[in-house]
Amino acid sequence: MPPVLQGILTIIIGVGGCVGYFYASNLILDKVIFPAKGPKAGININRANKVRPWLFLFPAMFALGLYLAYPVVGSFWRSLFDRSGANFIGLGNYFDLFSESTFRTAVFNNLLWVLFVPAMATFLGLLVAQLTDRLSWGNIAKSLIFMPMAISFVGASLIWKFVYAANPDIGIINALRDFFGMQTLDPLQVQFWNNFFLMFILVWIQTGFAMVILSAALRGIPEETIEAAIIDGANAFQIFFQIKVPQIMGTIVVVWTTITILVLKVFDIVYTMTGGNFGTHILPSYMMTYMFRDDGRATAVAFVIMLLVLPVMIWNIRQARKEMR
Amino acid sequence: MKSKFYAGVASIALLAGSAAAQDLIVAPGTEGFNWESFDAFAAEHDFSGETVTISGPWLQPDQTFLRNTLAYFEEATGATVNYSGSDSFEQDIVIAIQANSAPNVAVFPQPGLAADMAARGALAPLGDDVADWMRDGYAAGQSWIDLGTFANPQGEDEFYGFFYKVDVKSLVWYSPEQFDEMGYDIPETLEDLKALSQQMVDDGGTPWCIGLGSGAATGWPATDWVEDIMLRLHAPELYDDWITNDLPFNSPEVIEAIETFGIFAQTDGWAQGGPEAVATTDFRDSPAGLFQIPPACYMHKQASFIPAFFPEGSVYGQDFDFFYFPAFAEKDLGEPVMGAGTQFTITDDSDATRGLFEFLKTPIAHEIWMAQSGFLTPHLGVNLDVFADDSLRAMNEILLDATTFRFDASDVMPGEIGAGAFWTGMVDFVTGTDAETVANNVQARWDQMR
Amino acid sequence: MDNIAGQNQGARIAVNITVIILVLLWLLPTIGLFVSSFRDRDQISNSGWWLSPFSVEQNFRIRVGTDTARQIDGVHVIEGNAFRAPELEQVFEGHEGQISAFGTRAVAPDEFTPGERVELRQGGVLTVEADGSFRIENTEEFGARGPTIYVMALSPPRFTLFNYNTVLSADGMDRAFINTLTVAIPATIIPILIAAFAAYALAWMDFPGRGLLIAAVVGLLVVPLQLALVPLLSLHTSVGIGQSFLGIWLAHTGFGLPLAVYLLRNYMVGLPRDIIESAKVDGATDFQIFVRIILPLSFPALASFAIFQFLWTWNDLLVAKVFLPSGTDSQVMTVKIADDLLGSRGGDWGILASAAFVSIAVPLVVFFTMQRYLVRGLLAGSVK
Repeated sequence: MPPVLQGILTIIIGVGGCVGYFYASNLILDKVIFPAKGPKAGININRANKVRPWLFLFPAMFALGLYLAYPVVGSFWRSLFDRSGANFIGLGNYFDLFSESTFRTAVFNNLLWVLFVPAMATFLGLLVAQLTDRLSWGNIAKSLIFMPMAISFVGASLIWKFVYAANPDIGIINALRDFFGMQTLDPLQVQFWNNFFLMFILVWIQTGFAMVILSAALRGIPEETIEAAIIDGANAFQIFFQIKVPQIMGTIVVVWTTITILVLKVFDIVYTMTGGNFGTHILPSYMMTYMFRDDGRATAVAFVIMLLVLPVMIWNIRQARKEMR
Repeated sequence: MKSKFYAGVASIALLAGSAAAQDLIVAPGTEGFNWESFDAFAAEHDFSGETVTISGPWLQPDQTFLRNTLAYFEEATGATVNYSGSDSFEQDIVIAIQANSAPNVAVFPQPGLAADMAARGALAPLGDDVADWMRDGYAAGQSWIDLGTFANPQGEDEFYGFFYKVDVKSLVWYSPEQFDEMGYDIPETLEDLKALSQQMVDDGGTPWCIGLGSGAATGWPATDWVEDIMLRLHAPELYDDWITNDLPFNSPEVIEAIETFGIFAQTDGWAQGGPEAVATTDFRDSPAGLFQIPPACYMHKQASFIPAFFPEGSVYGQDFDFFYFPAFAEKDLGEPVMGAGTQFTITDDSDATRGLFEFLKTPIAHEIWMAQSGFLTPHLGVNLDVFADDSLRAMNEILLDATTFRFDASDVMPGEIGAGAFWTGMVDFVTGTDAETVANNVQARWDQMR
Repeated sequence: MDNIAGQNQGARIAVNITVIILVLLWLLPTIGLFVSSFRDRDQISNSGWWLSPFSVEQNFRIRVGTDTARQIDGVHVIEGNAFRAPELEQVFEGHEGQISAFGTRAVAPDEFTPGERVELRQGGVLTVEADGSFRIENTEEFGARGPTIYVMALSPPRFTLFNYNTVLSADGMDRAFINTLTVAIPATIIPILIAAFAAYALAWMDFPGRGLLIAAVVGLLVVPLQLALVPLLSLHTSVGIGQSFLGIWLAHTGFGLPLAVYLLRNYMVGLPRDIIESAKVDGATDFQIFVRIILPLSFPALASFAIFQFLWTWNDLLVAKVFLPSGTDSQVMTVKIADDLLGSRGGDWGILASAAFVSIAVPLVVFFTMQRYLVRGLLAGSVK
């Protein structure tokens, strides 16, 4: 069966199945198990309403549990065994990892990514959002800066190869260096800084996201507060930093954490640009060198990533609970 | 499937526009090819409606050559062959085996990785019949059998890998026109080669184009350099010990070989673009310098398959030629040749799959690819006249004439070393880490695996 | 207020310039890729894409054949025109151009100026004129192989669709394109449906443990994908799904759900309470309320998540590498580019560029047509 047909069939079965499940399960609940008639109608309605949320929730909870919650436990368990999966070695994989210099480099680089990318993307996003706010062609500018969001990391890496290439007839950076009589160099081999060149690709992609959200937040600030400040004689910078930024602080934090979460998932850029060479490994790409060869080691790396995001996770949950109250 | 059928098949096919027959690049019956072997094979095998899936490392253009060759298997048996290649074959095949979605046949470029898979029980043994055939059918048959024999999960040795398509690696490519214009001679010894390199620098040129880039496999071209040099510095027995780690990776002998490679890659002005460019230039792209005007470099050391990546329309003898990567005159080690090859293994057994291996035994399976490009073979029953050009014939001779033949060490080492730590180590070395640190790192990874 | 406007005149110009620079910086890399996709391999390695609208100096090699040699007054002569040589023919239409220099050795293709008489190493005298015509005179007969001439000429700008043709026909991008669609569409629709019901329950139904569940969803939002790869592939294998389209649909569904539930719940909570309560008073069941009121009202959030998930699945490399078989039958475009084209076409930038453009065309269209929904839905999710 050609995959297109298979795809269409899946959509029909999948979507039909979902709709059918929700419809049928509600019907059965209301008509068969707890019918809303007869002597116990009132009690039945109450009972049905107690069960119904779980009907609505079940598929999502099942998928979430299987695809996200179970792996956390499953991966941790696997990481306690050796490469064959037969022998329990406790935290052996973790000790081995930390004694390896490539791994330490990857952790260090990953921390750089986590700090730099969200900060830079949020900062640039805020800057563009503010600058384009009153601009006649602001929407066009925003669209163009938002555009990289649609491009895959692999596509983006290819695009940036035309910027970073060492050949001055291909890479624009080296063309400029060549033009000014400087020696050409391969930016991706400049130790330490090459990490930032790779990070900038992600910043390039994510700035648009930050910009759009922050731009909307800026517009949500009541006009009166700003007008009052103008009348008080505040200049543009004072207005921006002392009035606007504090007002949208909540949104800035949300944008920041969203990008942080994304950063920890991205492995494509390193994979296609350097393959982890020249000291540019990050944990997700480092994990790929072990995956399915030494699963114990690979899952241990994955779990280290998990530990890195843990603070963000806890903060997120606390934030969500605060909102609900 | 009778031989009579083929007599007028080409013309009929053209008239009828039949896709199947048009796929055959050499019309059956063409002089020089061993059609008897094809007809005999066709008469005995019928796998109509069956499919054989193959995964391998070959991308374009080798992929086309393989498909052209397997078209004869399809024609003879009625089976369908699906080949798919990937640049990260080494990763993909492991994932596929883990997921039980392995193809029928996996083509391993590295015995080391195939051995890993055999130990996991992912490969099916080929059986004694095939081994018996290879013992006499291939030049130095026993050594090919040994390279394809691995331990099964129970620890017993069995024959798994059928070598098909062999490469000679100890070659240096150059442009005869440019050597002619500049008055350079082909060096006979490694000492001469170094002197010639210096001469080229003195003349204002760049002697070497070296590129290590190869996607996830970046670094492997440098391992070939080191291995070739290893064979020229030390006795072959030491080389064998190196493969099994009886000679530790960080022993002085290995470090010396790495440092000798450094002379070529790191000496100022010896490699195009300097060590930096060496580390990132794609190996498929690196010989391009030979063909530029003015030339970006004069020499390129690479295996016999590289002409497939030369600019379209390049002609052997006119645009490019090769010479044997010479040995040190001062070391009395003969003329060692390093080579590599790809081995066909069964990852998902079926009758048609077994049939494919029967097909690989026939001369025609070798001759069709020989007539295309970049294919050498130790098969003793083939007609050497069908080689697409003289260069292939000359390389096949180098292969058969070698006083010492050794397989690419990185391919035989365990996958994590030969297809991992050694590669990245060489990238580190080229970009400035000293040889000793690199060797220590590789050895450390090897120690971890115990 | 006039006063302030006057002060701001300079600032306004500064703002305009800054934004223009930023936009250019953001666009430039993409333009480079786009332009390069219309140039062939030689052009790309000869001159930067920013020079593509201009003519560039290029060197050519001409191997002169000796079969046209004639004998005039005892002298052997070969005459011809450089622009009719095979290498130049494809570049110079109408066989016309300007030779700016020539040479006899590859190391110095610009050694001599047109019109000069040059002694050849193998004997004879060569002259090349600016219009490309050349003449070789020799007192002795020419051998089988004629001399080689190098010329430098200004080659005109050229653009070609060759790369796109190659990528779409020969390199199998067409198949990869369909595979990508096959992965992305079900992997977008299924999680939306499942998430919408869950989000409604979390937003508008009362039951014990609701707060805990919401917190769990927020927590799962952060779980790194990498953690799931090894255990889930084993799981898929043991239940017989293995590496397949079904497997990747399920995987994408699972990975996309937390964001979907989170976004949709945040949006649904913000819907006006009185509409829902009056519907309840009228006797509507939760199912009816959900289908007739909530779903239509939540359209912006649904669309926003759909775009997000579509872009994510379309652009994904990691999940496809693990959950799909690596054969051409099921390769998606990102895998195709990363593992096949970057390998077989490593140095062929034009092919890579056009492949990249084929792969980003659909997301760009989706993105520009649906942009406003994306923003509206996102805002509900994150701005509070």
